[in-house]
Amino acid sequence: MKPILLHGHERSITQIKYNREGDLIFSCAKDSQPNVWYSLNGERLGSFRGHNGAVWNIDVNWESTKVLTASADNTCKLWDCETGKTLASLDTATAVRTCGFSFSGRYIMYTTDKTMGRPCEIHIFDLNDIRNGEPTMVIPISSSKITSAVWGPYEEYIITGHENGEICHYDLKSGDKINSCKEHSKQINDLQLSKDMSMLISASKDTTAKLFETATLGHMKTYKTERPVNSASLSPIYDHVVLGGGQEAMDVTTTSTKVGKFDARFYHLVFEEEFGRVKGHFGPINSTAFHPDGKSYSSGGEDGYVRVHYFDPSYFDFRFEF
Amino acid sequence: MPSIDDSKPISWAEQVEQVEDGVLPPSSEQYDEEKGIKVVTEFKYNEENKMVKTWRKFGAAERDPPGPNPANTIVQVEEINMQFIHNKEEVQEQEDDPLLKLKSQKLVSCRICKGDHWTTKCPYKDTLGPLQEKLQDGEKPPVGDAPGPPTSQGPTAPAPTKTSGKYVPPSLRDGVNKGRGETMSSKRDESATIRVTNLSEDTRESDLQELFRPFGPIQRIYLAKDKNTGQSKGFAFINFHRREDAARAIAGVSGFGYDHLILNVEWAKPSGTS
Repeated sequence: MKPILLHGHERSITQIKYNREGDLIFSCAKDSQPNVWYSLNGERLGSFRGHNGAVWNIDVNWESTKVLTASADNTCKLWDCETGKTLASLDTATAVRTCGFSFSGRYIMYTTDKTMGRPCEIHIFDLNDIRNGEPTMVIPISSSKITSAVWGPYEEYIITGHENGEICHYDLKSGDKINSCKEHSKQINDLQLSKDMSMLISASKDTTAKLFETATLGHMKTYKTERPVNSASLSPIYDHVVLGGGQEAMDVTTTSTKVGKFDARFYHLVFEEEFGRVKGHFGPINSTAFHPDGKSYSSGGEDGYVRVHYFDPSYFDFRFEF
Repeated sequence: MPSIDDSKPISWAEQVEQVEDGVLPPSSEQYDEEKGIKVVTEFKYNEENKMVKTWRKFGAAERDPPGPNPANTIVQVEEINMQFIHNKEEVQEQEDDPLLKLKSQKLVSCRICKGDHWTTKCPYKDTLGPLQEKLQDGEKPPVGDAPGPPTSQGPTAPAPTKTSGKYVPPSLRDGVNKGRGETMSSKRDESATIRVTNLSEDTRESDLQELFRPFGPIQRIYLAKDKNTGQSKGFAFINFHRREDAARAIAGVSGFGYDHLILNVEWAKPSGTS
């Protein structure tokens, strides 16, 4: 396959996301300008100017009309997707680490970091009364800091991944922790849901990625690597999982790494075995995402490049031997 | 689960249809009433089934022309393939290891067992090794100077032959008939001469010996040297005993990279190689 390289960021990529239809890719990085690209040919549609610090997370709503970004400059901004204008800016006391639109697009949530004596908090806003600036709900987290969070299905709860490896459910109405599990030993770098939201995959610094059932947080599968996993995604059409990760410096000197040797690894969902690798990045991969139709995937790395790969026919013909 | 998925597309589709009447390029939408499944066919060739097509660029892309901006969007020309790892096999990475490449050519041979590995890596080091040494010790008294080409430190095998313990002069040894044949028809050997060019200036006869010895016994090596500096002029003539060895040497060394230059090997023209 001939990957399309998108070079729109000067610093390392923190997250990439496809919109629901798959024709747009949103990328955000440690430089303060998130970009949006057409996934078909890699043409850049535009960039969102306004942040002053690293943008950690980006999300787009169902209809691809609004974009939400979480930044280290203590704001979470809402943008219009078509024009790039800032629709709203929500100020916080500390850096905003994650953000997300709920399934219906009515609510947004973002989480803040635990610094300067302030606890880590989940803020939930109703988009209808965003002008007030009053959150619908604020849930303080007393335990370990949240490093990754996604909305649960049906907008009943928020699934959070913590620095100590815990994954929890926080109820929307009451703000209580309704479920939790501690399968990972180190911080959770990324949480992604499957297309039908019944499964959750978590990528952790403890060199594994684990598959859970969303509703119960029952641990189903583990995918082992030998380097910290920064991001994991589930294919919407096959039983495939892609893991992106990598460790710098230490490992680089011991292997014959010249160029482009950091790879994205493909595992079988059920058998937990690796079946493929795609090289190309010049640094650890920080974020991976499958296209909603499953025929392509993208990865964003520490090198600041987003690589969009359209799979070869050999990928579709591949049958795992068992 | 299914109910949620149904409700969304209905409202979205209605919205979409209301907004654009004739703007969108033709795309087929089929809405199956019974199952509540909406099938949207997008034509990827130059058309996109979305209002996005008519969106203007904003932010840093404001002044970009239509189409991908080459500063940002690069299609990688080099193909990258997914390396499939099958159940118990490791990913073969032959290209990365230059040693492996060298092995696959016939220049590496172990002194002990003549296999295609370096002597130090020989699996029979501790069995055949001492045995060879014993044979060599036995050879030392009868074999004064080594006959023919000098034994080098390279991966060539010396020839431990008999252990009679008595000195046999060269003219009465094995191969004495060959020697006679050779002296009589030394002219014939000119057809077993090859010329190797594009040598680096600090190549020596011993390097050439090492390089060409695996193809067969060498009769003579002539390395063209500058009289004053003693450095190689970049070419040399190698005389093999046999013509087929010379042929193999041409095939084997031609194009071989030696000390930053690619060697050129061919038959020597019969004139001037005195």
